[in-house]
Amino acid sequence: MIPLRVTEVSKSYGGVRALRPVSFDVRAGEVHALLGENGAGKSTLIRIMSGLVAPDTGQIEVDGAARVFRSPRDAARAGIVTIHQELLLFPDLSIAENICMADDPAALGWVDRAAQLSKARALLADLDSGDVDPAQPLRTLSVAQRQRVEIARALGRQARVLIMDEPTASLADADVARLIAIVRRLRERGVAIVYVSHKLSEVRSLADRVTILRDGGFVATRPAEGMTEADMIGLMVGRSISELYPKGEPKIGAEMLRVEGLTLAPRVQDVSFSLRSGEILGLAGLVGAGRTELARLIFGLDRPGAGRIILNGTEIRVASPQAAVAQGIAYVPEDRGLQGLVRSMPVAANVTMASLSKVVRGLFLSSRAEEAAGQDAIQQLGIRAPRGPAHIAGKLSGGNQQKVVVAKWLRSMPKVLILDEPTRGVDVGAKAEIHALMGDLTRQGLAILMISSELPEVLGMSDRVLVMARGRVTGLFERAEATPERVAAAMVAEMQGAS
Amino acid sequence: MTATLFSRRLLSHEAMLALLLALALFTLSRLSDSFLSSANLLNQVRLMAEIGLIALAMTLVIVTGGIDLSVGSITGLSAILLGVLWSKLGIPLPMAAVLAIAGGMVAGLANGLIITRFGVPPLIATLATMAFYRGLAEGLSQGRSVRGYPESFYVLGQGDVLGVPTQVLILLVAAILVGIALQMTAFGRTVLAIGANETAARFSSLPVDRVKLIVYGFSGLMAGLAGVLLVSRVTTTRSDMGMGWELDAITAVVLGGASIFGGRGTVLGTVLALALIQCLKNGLSLAGVKADGTIVLIGLFLIAAVLLGNLMDRIAAR
Amino acid sequence: MVAAPSHRATQDTGWPHRWLSGHGQVLVVLGAIVALFVVVSFVNQRFLSPANLTTIFSGNAYIAVAAIGMTMVIITGHIDVSVGALIGVLATIAGTLAVAGWPLWMVWLAPLVVGVLVNTLAGALVAYAGIPSIVLTLGFLSILKGGLIVVTGGDWISDLPRGFFLAQMKLFGLPVPMLTALVLTLAVAWWMAHFRFGRAIYAVGSNPEAARAIGISVERTVVGVFALHGLFAGIAAVLFATQLTIIQSTVPPNLELMIITACVIGGVSILGGVGTVIGAALATILFATITSAMIFTNVSAYWLRAVIGGLILITVLADVARRRRQA
Repeated sequence: MIPLRVTEVSKSYGGVRALRPVSFDVRAGEVHALLGENGAGKSTLIRIMSGLVAPDTGQIEVDGAARVFRSPRDAARAGIVTIHQELLLFPDLSIAENICMADDPAALGWVDRAAQLSKARALLADLDSGDVDPAQPLRTLSVAQRQRVEIARALGRQARVLIMDEPTASLADADVARLIAIVRRLRERGVAIVYVSHKLSEVRSLADRVTILRDGGFVATRPAEGMTEADMIGLMVGRSISELYPKGEPKIGAEMLRVEGLTLAPRVQDVSFSLRSGEILGLAGLVGAGRTELARLIFGLDRPGAGRIILNGTEIRVASPQAAVAQGIAYVPEDRGLQGLVRSMPVAANVTMASLSKVVRGLFLSSRAEEAAGQDAIQQLGIRAPRGPAHIAGKLSGGNQQKVVVAKWLRSMPKVLILDEPTRGVDVGAKAEIHALMGDLTRQGLAILMISSELPEVLGMSDRVLVMARGRVTGLFERAEATPERVAAAMVAEMQGAS
Repeated sequence: MTATLFSRRLLSHEAMLALLLALALFTLSRLSDSFLSSANLLNQVRLMAEIGLIALAMTLVIVTGGIDLSVGSITGLSAILLGVLWSKLGIPLPMAAVLAIAGGMVAGLANGLIITRFGVPPLIATLATMAFYRGLAEGLSQGRSVRGYPESFYVLGQGDVLGVPTQVLILLVAAILVGIALQMTAFGRTVLAIGANETAARFSSLPVDRVKLIVYGFSGLMAGLAGVLLVSRVTTTRSDMGMGWELDAITAVVLGGASIFGGRGTVLGTVLALALIQCLKNGLSLAGVKADGTIVLIGLFLIAAVLLGNLMDRIAAR
Repeated sequence: MVAAPSHRATQDTGWPHRWLSGHGQVLVVLGAIVALFVVVSFVNQRFLSPANLTTIFSGNAYIAVAAIGMTMVIITGHIDVSVGALIGVLATIAGTLAVAGWPLWMVWLAPLVVGVLVNTLAGALVAYAGIPSIVLTLGFLSILKGGLIVVTGGDWISDLPRGFFLAQMKLFGLPVPMLTALVLTLAVAWWMAHFRFGRAIYAVGSNPEAARAIGISVERTVVGVFALHGLFAGIAAVLFATQLTIIQSTVPPNLELMIITACVIGGVSILGGVGTVIGAALATILFATITSAMIFTNVSAYWLRAVIGGLILITVLADVARRRRQA
């Protein structure tokens, strides 16, 4: 009996294809890894399997019988439990309660605290966490321990299929080893495990089978044995790079930004690099490598514990985003809905938000100037907004929203532009346009630091590639020497003796 | 920005309010012959001026997504400060008035600091200061009221300037200034952005903490001014002044179309709502209902206004 | 975040230490009560007189009872500023029915029923209509407060029948209010620790999303909590109404503030998820002690609210600071 099988499931969100028909199954006593870059469709598939969303097409079978999940609780009742990256636990309740509350949360009835304690103790011991006292409140635990509590909870619910989403993203090495040991033990007990991870070395040592998704579609399912990390990356990356990323002749000038020994423990450790005007420096790394944290330091959202930032030859202090903008640093953030745009406001209002003083006439905000700014942005960036500058930003497509955010930052006349996952969740057409725009901007002298988790994008667009892992710089490659293998190797490199 | 989707919905809300107001005025004029006389109308506006000033500032606070429950207490505190400074410490009245108003502003700034520097949610911060400031007022006054202010002082609360009651003028000027600030300045744009998406506002390099501080400081300032005007109108100082005014102000703002969650609201809406509430109060008293009856209706209005607002949001989101 | 190896992060697991870190606030309150008693009785012997002790422990017991319900509301992450007005209304209902000759048991029961009904409506509006609890209860506050005066016309209720004064009676040698507060507080504390719904209250307050994920209905929990809150408000109203020979038509000033403050100072975090009814009850005793102490040491009573306000401010700042450090 196959504990979980999905057949030809697909999902679209408002006209955007998040997942093309994919089939996937996991067997009892197996670790089946799910690989793919951001935007490849992994999270959509996970959400379908865990009962969070209903697929548009296809079906779900548990032990051969077709099932419909209307909620995660339905899935849990069928024995499918998901451990998300954002742990869903109760910090103020005891560990034992966190583990046992999910069992049968009927509205009334006596709670046998003693039974909860002993059950929790047994489950934790099973997971080699016998050192944790289940009577304590959860908030006394570290992230790694909390994760084990979630696993214990899943086991307590008789999970037969455990879906683990980036389980080691926030863990230290010692904890990673412990977790892997736990996963192996669960496998021995016959639990089916779907393991989603970016960390290819872990996948290689743990997985029995590997499924790779790319651009919302299925690529391959292979036995893990005999696959190298290079094989995996090759399948994840796929397409020919030069087709997608038009790279004209770069006009690289003098050094514009230099960062020396920038540190904010524990996420950013002693990072140094330089960025020249007219250049695109791609910043590659796994989730949790510290790239966004680095950007935040440069942009003044956080203050460094140590290190210097030198802009155009002068050492600067960036105490806040206002200071950053005043000095000519701009940051297009990762999460455009939450951080990049005010979705309820029109395009024109968003576009002027980082440079309001430019549309102020005397004491007042000139609506005419703002409208003109909005119109400018629409024309220059090719934003498709049927109602023009008055179109509400939240109603635009992902690609157009991203263009609005970029337009906003361009208006602040930056010397250095940091782009954090600039084409995430953006359709192919808009992606190409954004890349073309980046090329134009660099030819005008702008220095761009591009953070991206899409290897093809990094390799295709960058003049140089900087790689970070665990908060440190682990590689710096010129365009010619940046091959997928070298970059990927640097992305997973351990600390000692990094290049 | 002329009629964008964003302000179109609000315009219709204000139009509806204006219609209701016209209806109320018409009904009241039928109920009582003297209602539409300029003397009565001006007097009605005089009565709503103090809460009006507070509601203006509250509009800004609520648009940023916050709330200020301490305004009533600040009103009382500044009234007491006025009394104590003048009668106990012998400070000349104009100076005492200025200091009392400044005291209100300081109280408001303290709110702002607790909210921005210490990260305490506005609801809780102002709930706590509501108690503390009222407590200060009671302690400073020791239960005694202050009377015997000089006649010249009453020009603020009871006098006229060119035939228009003084407070009305003050309210009008304040309403115009705050309205312009909110709709037409970079400051106002920042206020709206903070309420709509504070994270994005911060990321866009807007001075979020500074603006919040100003908004809460202004709220305290208006409450202080209201306190002084109130004393001038009723000729005494008591420590229970302004009690319950936070409810009136919040009701006016929410009834005026502002979203309690922030990001949306206009001064025009607040002013129309204030007028409507005052009409209601006037009408009820003409019909023989005591003041306490009106607060029942105000409470109902508040709940209805929020329900309607939520409903319209849900429809708009479809 | 790159965490240090986990075994270092686990705190000392000794039982006393664990209880302390979770209930430190309660001990502070207890300590303050004891300290005040010691200091004030030094200054003025009469502080320890049976009459005064009765006032402290029994006269304010109704506040402790109301605080039981409020504790639950605050733990789920909401607030109710209308409870003072509600108690006033319910007390008047009791008095009116008593004067009209209704049987005593109905007179004492009616406030409970009405309290539950009113607050269930409030809870439903908060949970299902998405009205923030602060706004909703502000509205209810004025409806109840104004409504009370409109209906009673400002008249006080006197001529209450003889058997009405429940609060002045004794049971098992203890004054009824004190006994009621004691029994109810302990019972609810035990219930919240050992029954599913009680635990669900904490779960919803601690992380509503996680609660939903494991199948707890956040909406039903909130409505249930408000309903219970109405029940305890009703009991408090009965105790309040039967204390004196007359029932005023105004709501006791500051009552909701006292109740909320009792909860907050008793360790109920205004951010939700944390706190116990025992802490709230002890904090009520602390306030009564402070009030009494101020009288017996000739400190002007007019500074009482400032003291309470200052206390709540300090407690809230400390709570937020503590949460920040843990995050």
